[in-house]
Amino acid sequence: MTCRDAIDILADYVDGAMPAELAAELERHLAGCEPCRAYLATYRKTGMLGAIAGRVDMPAEMQARLRRFLSEQLRRA
Amino acid sequence: MSADDRTLLTRAAMGDGEALEALMSRYASRIYRLAYGITRSAPDAEEVVQDVFLQIVNKGAGFEGRAALGSWIYRITTNVSLNKRRGKRRELETPLDELLPTFLPDGHRAGDRAFVVADWSSTPDRELLAGESRRLLEAAIDRLPAHYRAVLVLRDVEELSNEEVAEIVGDTVAAVKTRLHRARMALREQLTRYLRTGA
Repeated sequence: MTCRDAIDILADYVDGAMPAELAAELERHLAGCEPCRAYLATYRKTGMLGAIAGRVDMPAEMQARLRRFLSEQLRRA
Repeated sequence: MSADDRTLLTRAAMGDGEALEALMSRYASRIYRLAYGITRSAPDAEEVVQDVFLQIVNKGAGFEGRAALGSWIYRITTNVSLNKRRGKRRELETPLDELLPTFLPDGHRAGDRAFVVADWSSTPDRELLAGESRRLLEAAIDRLPAHYRAVLVLRDVEELSNEEVAEIVGDTVAAVKTRLHRARMALREQLTRYLRTGA
């Protein structure tokens, strides 16, 4: 397995969706490859950061405007 | 779709404010999160939320309910958000190939050793999610094409399965997995370039 092969399949590995045999082969590559270990660690961390950054809340004033907007729509209907 | 959701949809379509309020409590935050994730604009996301709720009220009663209401709502939200994005802010988006790892002919990573072994993963989240690092992360997300962001939000923020996302975005599971992987790699690359050099 080359580094290109390893990086190609990281998503399935991180998501726990990889057949055990392939995961074992990837882990053997990782054990001997510092760049790929660094890549995996930072790839995993990136996913976590993206998820946290994406958890935006709808501002309260926007929720109030939505309520008013929908109330008006219902009144007109 | 649960009987509860169906009842709420029917009542909301008949002008029942309480049913609409219940649907809002259940779905408005999720719709906003996805809409903002795709459009990257609070005013655009607000318009999307309004559009989606109008569709829920106008078309919800006729919704067949083979899929979960949540999936149907995610699908409408994705479509409305992508339509809103069309022709807007495209100048910020960068061709993804420039942000993906490169390899030597023998399959090893290209680039100097210090870069390919750079591992900033032990940096605390609070440090990475503040100040210049946070600004860079947000800019990196901005640079992704909108349909990549849609998959990223649905998978990594909403925590849906590849199969659910494929149904929502109307693509194959294989295409969803490829898009998600490329989006994560593009973000990782930009963070690494910054965190390794601080520039």
